[in-house]
Amino acid sequence: MEIGKKKAQPNLWVPDNKKNFWKTMKNQKILYLMSIPFVVWIFVFNYLPVWGWTMAFQDFRPGRSITEQEWVGFKHFITLFQDPHFYLVLRNTLVMSLMLLIVGFTIPIIFAVSLNELKDSLFKRSVQTISYLPHFVSWVVVAGIVTKMLSTDGGIINDLLVSLNIIESPIQFMAQGHWFWVILTGADIWKEMGWNSIIFLAAMAGVDPQLYEAARVDGANRWRRIWHITLPGIRPTIMVILILSIGNMISIGFERQLLLGNSLVREYSEVLELYALNYGIGMGNYSYGTALGIFNSMVSIILLLLANGFFKRMSNTSVM
Amino acid sequence: MSRKYKGFYGVFIIVSLFLFVPACSNSEETSTNNNDGDNETSNDEMSDSEIEFSVFAADDNPSWNGMDSPVGQEILNATGVSLDADFALGDPAERISLFAASGDYPDFILPKGDGGLMVDAGAMVDLRPLIEEHGPNIKEVYGDYLDRMTWSEDDDAIYFLGTNGVDQEYWSPGNGFWLQHAVVEELGYPEINTLEDFENAIAEYYEMYPEIDGQPTIPLSLLADDWRMLISVTNPAFFATGGSDDGEWFIDHETQEAILHYRRPEEREYFRWLNHMNNEGLLDPETFVQQEDQYISKISSGRVLGMIDAEWSIADAQTALREDGKQERMHGIYPVTLDDTFKQANFQDAGYLAEWGIGITVDNPDPVRAIKFLDWMASEEAQILNNWGIEGEHYQYDDEGNRHLTEEQREERLSDSKFNERTGINVFTAYGPNYGDGVLDSEGQPFTINTPETVVEDYTDKEKEVLAAYDAEIWADLFPSSDEFPVKPWGAGWEINWSSDSPIAVPFQRAEDTMMTRIPEAILADEDEFDEVYDRFMEELEGHGVEEMEQEFTKLIQKRIELWDEE
Repeated sequence: MEIGKKKAQPNLWVPDNKKNFWKTMKNQKILYLMSIPFVVWIFVFNYLPVWGWTMAFQDFRPGRSITEQEWVGFKHFITLFQDPHFYLVLRNTLVMSLMLLIVGFTIPIIFAVSLNELKDSLFKRSVQTISYLPHFVSWVVVAGIVTKMLSTDGGIINDLLVSLNIIESPIQFMAQGHWFWVILTGADIWKEMGWNSIIFLAAMAGVDPQLYEAARVDGANRWRRIWHITLPGIRPTIMVILILSIGNMISIGFERQLLLGNSLVREYSEVLELYALNYGIGMGNYSYGTALGIFNSMVSIILLLLANGFFKRMSNTSVM
Repeated sequence: MSRKYKGFYGVFIIVSLFLFVPACSNSEETSTNNNDGDNETSNDEMSDSEIEFSVFAADDNPSWNGMDSPVGQEILNATGVSLDADFALGDPAERISLFAASGDYPDFILPKGDGGLMVDAGAMVDLRPLIEEHGPNIKEVYGDYLDRMTWSEDDDAIYFLGTNGVDQEYWSPGNGFWLQHAVVEELGYPEINTLEDFENAIAEYYEMYPEIDGQPTIPLSLLADDWRMLISVTNPAFFATGGSDDGEWFIDHETQEAILHYRRPEEREYFRWLNHMNNEGLLDPETFVQQEDQYISKISSGRVLGMIDAEWSIADAQTALREDGKQERMHGIYPVTLDDTFKQANFQDAGYLAEWGIGITVDNPDPVRAIKFLDWMASEEAQILNNWGIEGEHYQYDDEGNRHLTEEQREERLSDSKFNERTGINVFTAYGPNYGDGVLDSEGQPFTINTPETVVEDYTDKEKEVLAAYDAEIWADLFPSSDEFPVKPWGAGWEINWSSDSPIAVPFQRAEDTMMTRIPEAILADEDEFDEVYDRFMEELEGHGVEEMEQEFTKLIQKRIELWDEE
């Protein structure tokens, strides 16, 4: 709590009684006026649409007014939780997002730390640029590249492994259900590693160079400096991004899975959002899709609160 | 620290809510625009001015180039209408559902199988009164088929005008088993009628030539990329067992009862054969993994001996082989069945398929102008323009007054992949009523450039040689002709839709999901495990309630037969 007080900014000062509040408001009325457009914007685009959640409790038919809709209570939620397929896609979603979270977090940090240690800035900048370029390649193209590279018919990976005598005959990488998660994670790392490391590099640039000098004087070697200065220096950034990612764990998108998947790995590749698409919008069953959306939002909020509570406790102990 | 994170709570909650913005429907203005053309005068004034209509089509049109092409300009001059087209990427049902949910519709829509969503949402204008008043050409083109477009027994309206070619004659088989010309030539043109013949031909040739042009030969390749699996893996199962294309259904002619086609015992034998092919090492191991471009490039390299696919699916690869001058590596199509007791029903007649077509939505600012545009598209002038192009430029009249193409003009159409995009020929055909191949105009000349003779003219020398060896002129001669089958009184099963709350909807989706996983699994299983996998597959289907679903679908078929019989 000591730290919190030190860092508190004057504008966020909260009055402790009503009289003071109105007084402050009067004093700062220009500031309040300036914030109105944004509050309205948030209300219109983020709160009004929540009205659409009512669809989950109806048998929604497009083109009818709300009074003409048929209300069915929790019917769609019950169907959802009784569908074994739903648990399969939920498992796939959670496993894949967990893998993406773990690998997609450690590797960019390691990459950023190594780049940060480089002295030659031209080399450093070119590596950085090259490494984040794949971020701008669409998943359609990436999926094409990955499929071709892993092909048994002249795919480069199989050719390499065979010519090095590591394997005897080409392996059908894309046909193995349990490998799908690995391939997806690998492809994602290739595509997003450079991009995700940018923010860590920026955070490292903000670390006070005097700290490094002091450490060097005290005889800390390079590993020590990374461990005691660089990593603690970017810890707030890491935590903010981690909390954000955990909140988004359940909504990991479906393009990657859809494009890399095939009929042999469907049981491993189908994710929640694809399921919502197929059984919700795809079938014109908006209510079911909305019910699934509400489930998603609820899980996201819960995950977020848990993660935040956990890290608050963690950082408190580490501060004390 | 806690204060610092309090801000985050707010932001995160808002962000998570924002991630799930369910589309709100609000289409109060649905009925206001529906003026049935009672103000003639204003429309006549308007036909001089130009108007732009937006079009949404479920089928992509890769040649679409707006109204800039010569044919597009002609249409614009004649009607004053320009079309602003938008096409579905991926599954069209998603876009159409969004239209229905948002209440914001394009002026014209071609929703293919998902018209029900639009009609349920009250998005479509009843075309019947408009046609009565403004559509002489439309009536002329469709004749009695117009009644087939009646929406349902409860709703007498016509919402969509069929855009398939009316009275089309077919000279090219669309579905069958493909074999390289080199294979049949090498083996002395053996009979290719059963799966056994097909397999033997492939196996023998593969043994003789394990490599083609230095690369390993691929005996048989299929495409299973997403929904293409239906075309290349599962549809051939009913074609090989005497069924014709009713989508995922097999409909019994006598009882008119429908079942999911892969539940037929005959088709289990077909999949058993594929399983056997795989265990013999004759099936491309990448069958269920490859994407479409890989498949096409394999065939284009000339080392795939056989395919089982639709004509349109491999057409690009055939063009590529032709351009490379590898005539003997191109493929012929054969009517292969499980055994001699079945007839390949590719040419079975379903009557005119009127249901997939173009409709006018309630958002269309001027429905009268729109129907007049469609009526103009149905006119002889427009159909000749759409099929033949502009006189003197794309075709001319010979001494007897017949439209004809010179050698160069024909070659240009065949070999220039940008021809349609550049000229606009055949680009607009899909957006209005039109006659099919083989129909003659008022002067006794065909509307389209295709005739059986032109089909033969397009063949390569090698193709003619192969056909001559089989005593045939065109590939269709190898197939049983349409007279050998009864006309299907229900049209085509894949044309029959159901609403989203129908008891068919969910079991059907589940059955399809299961099928997409289990059939590849069964084909790739060991030979003695095949039955086990297939039995489990059948049990799972029953668990999804497919039997009740099939009964429901049977009812839909019977209703449709009754509706059409009333005519």
